[in-house]
Amino acid sequence: MPVPWEALIPFGLLVTMFGTGGTLLNASKRAQNQGKPPRYHLDAWENMMMERDKRLTGHPRAQRDEPIAPEGFETSSVWYTEKVSYHYK
Amino acid sequence: MSNVYHDPAEAPQPYKEPTPLPDDIPKVPEVGATSAPLKSAAFFIGDYCKEYNEDFMLCKAENRDPGHCLKEGRRVTRCAIDLISKMRENCGQVFQDHWQCLEKNNHEYYLCRQPERALNKCMFEKLGLTKTIPGTPPGKTPIHEVRNPIYTSVQR
Repeated sequence: MPVPWEALIPFGLLVTMFGTGGTLLNASKRAQNQGKPPRYHLDAWENMMMERDKRLTGHPRAQRDEPIAPEGFETSSVWYTEKVSYHYK
Repeated sequence: MSNVYHDPAEAPQPYKEPTPLPDDIPKVPEVGATSAPLKSAAFFIGDYCKEYNEDFMLCKAENRDPGHCLKEGRRVTRCAIDLISKMRENCGQVFQDHWQCLEKNNHEYYLCRQPERALNKCMFEKLGLTKTIPGTPPGKTPIHEVRNPIYTSVQR
């Protein structure tokens, strides 16, 4: 008895497209977060800590557990409020 | 034009402090741990550095001027640096496992109970520090010691 296999083609296409789209999106998010799942529900505290992580390590998701901060960390936050005229001294 | 945002990573020269602190103020390095190790060590910092932290908070309650609490602030920083060095030296691998688990789970404690139990055990044996959650009602077990919690990563 002939089985209507042609009807399964659009079904297969939809499954493939949704699956590929979802997988690529997940892979893109993980690649932006150094291979880890992205952070969610970030409040002001978490954003402040991630900005501090970026000053310490160079990336908001990179972690380090050295007790002492690297050279230049103490003053690196002051860049944000520095006046441009200091460059021309 | 005068208050432009400069990304410190793209600075052509290192930042030169125009008004450095006077030399009679002792120089204390900053804590170099990022958010996940600090969150992992948080309750142990609370246990180990309790007096210095309380001193600092009381000093700040008196006067919020940044120059008023420099001494207490230096003590807090030194204590935290000391504890993190001790944690890395004594319980280094368990500590790293816990903060790496936190980093993969949106920094939620309830998703990383197994590495946390190992870390708490190691910290108690090597350094005598326990994690206590302030404000737990007197009769109840603290949430980190409950064996079968309701809220886990997968709904029961």
